[in-house]
Amino acid sequence: MLKMNHLSKVYRTHLIETHALRDFSIHVREGEFVAVTGPSGSGKTTFLNIAGLLEEFTGGEFLLDGIDVRGMNDDARSRLRNEKIGFIFQGFNLIPDLNLFDNVDVPLRYRGFNAAERKRRIEESLARVGLSARVKHFPSELSGGQQQRVAIARALAGSPKILLADEPTGNLDTQMARGVMQLLEDLHAEGATIIMVTHDPELAARAQRNVHVIDGQVVDIQSEPRMRGLGVVQSAVAVG
Amino acid sequence: MEIRPILSALMRSKVSLVLIGLQIALTLAIVCNSLFIISERAALMQRPSGINEADTFTVSSIGFGEGFDDARTFAEDLAMMRSLPGVVDATTINAIPMSNGGWSEGLSLTQEQKTSTAPTAIYFVDDHGLNTLGAQLIAGRDFRPDEVSERNRTTQGWPAGVIMSRALGEKLWPGQAALGKQVYLDTEKPPVTIIGVVDRLQSPWPHSKRLAEFSILVPQQLVGDGRMRYLVRTAPGQRDALMKQIEAKLGEINHSRIVREARSIERIRGEGYSQDRAMMIILTIVIAALLIITALGIVGMASFWVTQRTKQIGTRRALGATRGMILRYFLTENFVITTLGLAIGAAMAYGFNVWLIQNYEAARLPWYYVPAGCVALWILGQLAVLGPARRASRVPPAMATRSV
Amino acid sequence: MFGYYLTLGLRSLRRHSVLTALMVFGIALGIAASMTSLTVFYLMGSDPIPWKSDRLHVVQLDNWDINEGFDPNPDILPDALTYLDATALMAASKADKQAAMYKVVLPVQPDNPEVKPFLSLARATGSDFFGLFDTPFKYGSGWDKSVDEQHGRVTVLTQPINEKLFGGADSTGKRVKFDGIEYTVVGVLDTWRPRVKYYDVSNGALNEPEEAFIPFTTAIELQMGSAGNNNCFKNSEPGWEGYLRSDCIWIQFWAQLDTPAKLADYKAFLDAYIGEQKKLGRFERPLRSKLPNVTQWLEEQKVVSSDVEIQVGLSFAFLLVCLVNTVGLLLAKFMRKSGEIGLRRALGASRGQLFLQHLVEAGVVGVTGGLVGLLLTWLGLLGVRALYSEFKAVAQLDWVMVATTLVLSIVAAMLAGLFPTWRACRVQPAAQLKTQ
Repeated sequence: MLKMNHLSKVYRTHLIETHALRDFSIHVREGEFVAVTGPSGSGKTTFLNIAGLLEEFTGGEFLLDGIDVRGMNDDARSRLRNEKIGFIFQGFNLIPDLNLFDNVDVPLRYRGFNAAERKRRIEESLARVGLSARVKHFPSELSGGQQQRVAIARALAGSPKILLADEPTGNLDTQMARGVMQLLEDLHAEGATIIMVTHDPELAARAQRNVHVIDGQVVDIQSEPRMRGLGVVQSAVAVG
Repeated sequence: MEIRPILSALMRSKVSLVLIGLQIALTLAIVCNSLFIISERAALMQRPSGINEADTFTVSSIGFGEGFDDARTFAEDLAMMRSLPGVVDATTINAIPMSNGGWSEGLSLTQEQKTSTAPTAIYFVDDHGLNTLGAQLIAGRDFRPDEVSERNRTTQGWPAGVIMSRALGEKLWPGQAALGKQVYLDTEKPPVTIIGVVDRLQSPWPHSKRLAEFSILVPQQLVGDGRMRYLVRTAPGQRDALMKQIEAKLGEINHSRIVREARSIERIRGEGYSQDRAMMIILTIVIAALLIITALGIVGMASFWVTQRTKQIGTRRALGATRGMILRYFLTENFVITTLGLAIGAAMAYGFNVWLIQNYEAARLPWYYVPAGCVALWILGQLAVLGPARRASRVPPAMATRSV
Repeated sequence: MFGYYLTLGLRSLRRHSVLTALMVFGIALGIAASMTSLTVFYLMGSDPIPWKSDRLHVVQLDNWDINEGFDPNPDILPDALTYLDATALMAASKADKQAAMYKVVLPVQPDNPEVKPFLSLARATGSDFFGLFDTPFKYGSGWDKSVDEQHGRVTVLTQPINEKLFGGADSTGKRVKFDGIEYTVVGVLDTWRPRVKYYDVSNGALNEPEEAFIPFTTAIELQMGSAGNNNCFKNSEPGWEGYLRSDCIWIQFWAQLDTPAKLADYKAFLDAYIGEQKKLGRFERPLRSKLPNVTQWLEEQKVVSSDVEIQVGLSFAFLLVCLVNTVGLLLAKFMRKSGEIGLRRALGASRGQLFLQHLVEAGVVGVTGGLVGLLLTWLGLLGVRALYSEFKAVAQLDWVMVATTLVLSIVAAMLAGLFPTWRACRVQPAAQLKTQ
């Protein structure tokens, strides 16, 4: 589903060169729930940005759902992102001026679905996260946990191949975090492929597989002890 | 593209919407009415006077001291001027079209009527008048030398035959030929007969609606007050040189007078319409300044919105929006705001026009001004927002995952 | 504290220099447009002789055609008097001061053969003229009543012509030759230039004033025709004498009436006079007379042209656009600072303090906009003078207007700043800190 081989990412300013990712390889299979962990500045977010086609990479190979994304132009990447990827952000990133219906509608508009199709998908995905009753509400009228559910509904609405979650519970209290985590686990159980970036080992432990990143390199792979869903234990390569 | 969500998002930030909308509305109202005033003034200024303006000039003099002989001076001056090479013709005249000073009378069709039928400007000229003015005779004949008489303070009544402008003839006798008809310049005296009709001859008062093109040429020379005014027509290109030459020569012919006001008809036209020209220039500046301010306002607000929504734009990009889609989003948003403003502005434009009609006898705004103004402001809005919108489209999608 | 706010405001304005420039430019342009047109409007319409304008009255009598009024508007009476009526009112001498007057053109023949004869506009009037309008004298004085009676050959000159003829020296007692006749100079006026030539608005309210004054009676005796407007509704008998007996109007008549009682008495006297004249077959229309004072007269005669009024209206609409523009930009600016505002609230600033801080910032924009606007107004008036040559005296920067400009611009900026400031200060400290 997602395959990175010997990927590197270098940020250059005229003063310094920073290697955000070095010889980074990872392989995520369909239906897997992978947690990417690591301390601040380790390259987690860079990995997520590249995985989500938000940023380009400097070297190596990246196949998303079998498509080589190297050298793709901005528009093609946008389209691919729209079709294959569902994003869940730490800060929810809902558009405050739009109600829930319109927020979930945003990626569907870009996909170019017709009105009936969009409506069906919006209602379905909002129902999936249990917020059907609030379609006309605005984000500011919801709790953080509810907002993140809307974000998940938005991510699901386009039937993506893979869900990318960036510290999905980072802005939530424990109670709400638990609910959101439960929702992700349920989605995984239903067959979704999920990559979650987090610095919280406790959360990471609930994933099927953990990938630890330090200084832009994958250093350790912990197979999740508890088998969940259809996930298959996968040994990844750590290259030093 | 996605008008409904844009509209509902805008409704959440009403103040900004109201501010930009109001600005666009006022701009439309002011621009439409100003342009209309400009076009009306331009139309007024473009009216032909009916005379040759390019090669003509006027010069006057005032005699002083005892024994100043008006009639002899006239004869000497005219003979001198007509004999100069380059002079096509010259005439005595009392007033110049568009000069804002002259003689007017009321015309009556019958001797019994108490109020006049139409007002008219009176031009006293000699038998060279028509030729010097370059007015086009469309019926009848010019004055004969023997018809030209003197008019002084004691003269009563009017000469038997006069030449009339076509517009005045149509006013007095609608649908009939004026030639040969009689009309009273003085109901206590015999009527005058129309011996000729000129196509067009504007009155000396360019802003008078009543008198606009109502003029009569009378074959008389005004004598007895030492004042003389001439109109001279020259061959093309020789006007300015001859104007100086004649001004000097008139002083030489008779020393006991002051020669003055040698001015080309083009200059008189310029002075006659100077307030209209000034109004047009001022309004043009107002329009330009207004469009600049409004465009800058749109740029300012749009830039602010882009900055404020950087994260949102990044999110949209992350959710699959292409750069083009982001660009179009801002263009569409501007279009929606502009359209709302224009809807109010259209009403204000007509309201402003009604105020002008009620207080300043303005004309009704033609229907096409507001749509044309709308199109112009749509284009202005789109151009103004293009810069900020392009900036928005360049927001990187990775902005979505940035934590601050 | 004000100093601190000022420093903060200046710093904030400097940081967003483009936005600040936009705001200042917006206000300045709006202020300049409205002040330019307002200055012209104000100077044209303002009272040219405020200390006695309510005591100076124009005499208007309705001697016009029985069949057709002087103006389609029945409230507008003839704007001048006939010779018959003017001399009758002079003879009656019922007002505190009174003068009949009309404009003449005088050929001036200097003694100095070097100076060529030239034409000069002059006013033929009575001895009271100078007292009526408080004209300042540099040398000598006006003439007295006996000169009026004797048709004396005297003149009062103004500075420009005295400069031309006598090099600006005291010329009282000297002689000048107008149209072949010698006059003795009795006085020279100091600079006297009413912005609006209110004593004779029908002959160009904004024209230059006359250069010399001669007795009315002398001008009549010498058969000088009017160089101003002359309106007749019927034929005159032939000759100068016939013209003087006619119902043609061409003479302005001013009366000074120092108390309301005198005004009422004079009105009664005029009506009685018209009654007398009716018996002689004149004044066939319904008995009407009017005595508008200076300001009423300027208004009735529409000295302020409709173009100028439209320009004032337009420029205030323009100012409104500029203000709306500034409100929008200030709002954008203050909203962008909502994080900072939240922080300051959290650090203990009260709403009032923040309000004041932002109002000071808006005020700085206003003062700067006003100063730039003043400069632009000066340029605007320069432009107006170039466009309307006759507006020389009314398109001048005037201290009342300068003050108005500054006050208007500060008030405008404060008004523009009020709403954004209010919005900015409503920010909940907690809400802002959390989401940032």
